[in-house]
Amino acid sequence: MLKVLIPTIMLFPTIWLTSPKWLWTTTTAHSLLIASISLMWFKWTSETGWTSSNTYLATDPLSTPLLVLTCWLLPLMILASQNHINPEPISRQRLYITLLASLQTFLIMAFGATEIIMFYIMFEATLIPTLIIITRWGNQTERLNAGTYFLFYTLAGSLPLLVALLLLQQSTGTLSMLVLQYSQPLQLNSWGHMIWWAACLIAFLVKMPLYGVHLWLPKAHVEAPVAGSMVLAAVLLKLGGYGMMRMMVMLDPLSKELAYPFIILALWGIIMTGSICLRQTDLKSLIAYSSVSHMGLVAGGILIQTPWGFSGAIILMIAHGLVSSALFCLANTAYERTHSRTMILARGLQIIFPLTAVWWFIANLANLALPPLPNLMGELMIITTLFNWSPWTILLTGLGTLITAGYSLYMFLMSQRGPTPNHITGLQPFHTREHLLMTLHLIPVILLVTKPELMWGWCY
Amino acid sequence: MNPYVLMILLSSLGLGTTLTFASSHWLLAWMGLEINTLAITPLMAQHHHPRAVEATTKYFLTQATAAAMILFASTTNAWMTGEWSITDLSDPLANTMFMTALALKIGLAPMHFWMPEVLQGLDLLTGLILSTWQKLAPFALIIQTAQNIDPLLLTLLGVTSTLVGGWGGLNQTQLRKILAYSSIAHMGWMIIVIQYAPQLTLLALGTYIIMTSAAFLTLKMSLTTKVSTLATTWSKSPILTATTALVLLSLGGLPPLTGFMPKWLILQELTKQDLPIIATTMALAALISLYFYLRLCYAMTLTISPNTTNSTTPWRTQTTQASMPLALFTMATLGLLPMTPAILTLTT
Amino acid sequence: MTYFMFLLLMALVVGLVAVASNPTPYFAALGLVVAAGVGCGVLVGHGGSFLSLVLFLIYLGGMLVVFAYSAALAAEPYPEAWGSRSVLGYVLVYLLGVGLVAGFFWGGWYEGSWVVVDGLKEFSVLRGDVSGVAVMYSSGGGMLVICAWVLLLTLLVVLELTRGLSRGALRAV
Repeated sequence: MLKVLIPTIMLFPTIWLTSPKWLWTTTTAHSLLIASISLMWFKWTSETGWTSSNTYLATDPLSTPLLVLTCWLLPLMILASQNHINPEPISRQRLYITLLASLQTFLIMAFGATEIIMFYIMFEATLIPTLIIITRWGNQTERLNAGTYFLFYTLAGSLPLLVALLLLQQSTGTLSMLVLQYSQPLQLNSWGHMIWWAACLIAFLVKMPLYGVHLWLPKAHVEAPVAGSMVLAAVLLKLGGYGMMRMMVMLDPLSKELAYPFIILALWGIIMTGSICLRQTDLKSLIAYSSVSHMGLVAGGILIQTPWGFSGAIILMIAHGLVSSALFCLANTAYERTHSRTMILARGLQIIFPLTAVWWFIANLANLALPPLPNLMGELMIITTLFNWSPWTILLTGLGTLITAGYSLYMFLMSQRGPTPNHITGLQPFHTREHLLMTLHLIPVILLVTKPELMWGWCY
Repeated sequence: MNPYVLMILLSSLGLGTTLTFASSHWLLAWMGLEINTLAITPLMAQHHHPRAVEATTKYFLTQATAAAMILFASTTNAWMTGEWSITDLSDPLANTMFMTALALKIGLAPMHFWMPEVLQGLDLLTGLILSTWQKLAPFALIIQTAQNIDPLLLTLLGVTSTLVGGWGGLNQTQLRKILAYSSIAHMGWMIIVIQYAPQLTLLALGTYIIMTSAAFLTLKMSLTTKVSTLATTWSKSPILTATTALVLLSLGGLPPLTGFMPKWLILQELTKQDLPIIATTMALAALISLYFYLRLCYAMTLTISPNTTNSTTPWRTQTTQASMPLALFTMATLGLLPMTPAILTLTT
Repeated sequence: MTYFMFLLLMALVVGLVAVASNPTPYFAALGLVVAAGVGCGVLVGHGGSFLSLVLFLIYLGGMLVVFAYSAALAAEPYPEAWGSRSVLGYVLVYLLGVGLVAGFFWGGWYEGSWVVVDGLKEFSVLRGDVSGVAVMYSSGGGMLVICAWVLLLTLLVVLELTRGLSRGALRAV
């Protein structure tokens, strides 16, 4: 664990001490190095599930894919934000990369924590860098609104969680994930326990976000700069799913009944947010709502609490992390050239950027879960397990899949096909950096097809 | 002000607090409080403008009332029980009166109305003294007597203060008033836990003093008292701009910063005492306070207010103020959370 | 004697009402003198003749200064005594309040609650208040020093607050 954590912390001196000329190169290389070291986590040395380096930090098949995703994303974020941060003064560039690196530090500690309270603190700690990324580096004035929404939705959900965790600690005597699963099952039968159950999950459902408490997400995504959108979609939302999976172990007898409304809400959310996507004019907002839709499926898979549901949830989280991040990068490349997120203003880009159209195509296909890709694997597992619970869910999930295909197609056709408007002819050509960025996003998605057990979680 | 007079006043300020700390007899404790009040009065009115004098008068009147009530409470207690010792405040009437008086003295809601008004009339350093040093002596008394006081009264004072502290600061544009409301909210957190874990009260007081000192010194350094002035500090002191946002969020109690530590421990203690509803209320009340801290962050750090080119590129002259205390307090405000176990050992 | 004490306490309340009803300053000062004098009378009734004498002398000195100040600084051309309308309103309201509270607690003040200090210690050689002063000087040295310091500090504070002709902002005149 420290083999990754300490180099990540050492990123800060790297950022502040390198000469301005080499700033982006060194930080990208350094973070890429960290990402490749982090791949070592995939080699299980322990049969029991947890590979711990010390009592507070450990990895298991559930957290490892998310950890590696976190490490993988930092170089990509740095690559993606190079273009729009470069005109800033050098100290601000350094500050920006520092923010991204601090986010990664907190995320590694969040996913690697064995104490739930440490996970909680790191979960909260990610708020400040993200808030600064959104509200300091966003473009429109609405970003302040978005920052407020982001902060207060999350905190209003997670402060009851803190109290709930402290109550849990009081009744079990420990909050260590290593020990907690062996502790006595809690006697949960009163109304107070039901409220406790809700407090334990709502923070994560807000973060996820569940349909109904998702309003902060599109705002945050639309207003954030590209790196913010990327990390938000790829990793921060997954904190919610990860936390839920960790908490579900403790909530056992109550979840059977109490989870119903949330499952229904999640499934209904797939349809609703999908439909919102279908009539969206704003490119980033569309991708954001598609995230909400996918996360609804993940939430359903976790709340149903079957092994298939959990596996599907992790697979979908990882796949969605890479793909939605790729889509945000693509949206940003278009935004940097046309300075508009409105899709109708930048149509027919295929003619101008044929290779980029390929990236759009692949990313969209991955987003709508094309057969061999891991997205399909995750969705299929969740849909199956939901179907097994109640056949009626196929109506919602099936329709959801259809709508997903619909809006992915809509996004692709709207931005790549059709007549090219006259006002966008003089665009800057694509940089190699951007092609590299897309490659680095999509290669893991494709490679994971060949070895999905890396992210199968506990069921492997 | 004449340096000799200043010296006498400051040392009396210290003497008053120390006297209250050291006393076990009510009369002496009361005397310490009075010395404290008297000594700070000229400091508050040292700039002879009407606003400062008004603030001084208000402060003097409230503190005199509170001190008189304390004297009355202790006399009543002596009359009823024959005990002058501070820890033996056992008569219920005297207890309640005493707690109300001290709530007035430190500005707990609903006896808080003087606090923003007074703080707004002071210059920043006196304001710093008022919101940090002046809290110590009353807290020494509260901690000694808290075990005898009605829990309902304490809980009510605590919850009301956090709510009022959040609510009142919401539509303020004056920084000193905002800091006054922040002080009220923090006092609420300290009072709520005082019967269960007095050492946490001390810890919360300590961290509050550190964070508030950092905030006041920052404002002093950049000479700002309004949100609108705050918006242009980035052109004068860029690094201060960055740290101030974090200091404010620390005051709001966001996790990786110091301000989370007292809140965390207090919530833990409250849940241990089976008071989860109060704990949740407190936590959510802190969210209201966070809103105005966040607004200050927006104004100062996260946006760049429109301005003329001339005013965004001013001369950055070397400051003549001492920046070491500011640096120390800021560091402590931002980074003490990992030190929680050590600090907890220190206060118990 | 009980009847006399009752009368004194009544006079104390009336004196305080006279101050609190917001008349012109030197009438208020008169009310204060009445309250102080009667209060000393109550102390005498309880057996603290020495203390009350000291208190009365000091108070009289203080009141002289207050009279002088209020006559010099706050003399009004049309002084308002207790008969004028606004003050009378206050007087009535306060008296009503006192009456209500008295009615509420009526019967609480009985013969036994009037205890003379000397009556408590039957074997003491010295009177309680006289010996108390002696004890204060003999073993309360530290307290005396602190008290002296507080008085000095008060003097300094008052001087500092009112110093200067134009900037003595506490004085409205």
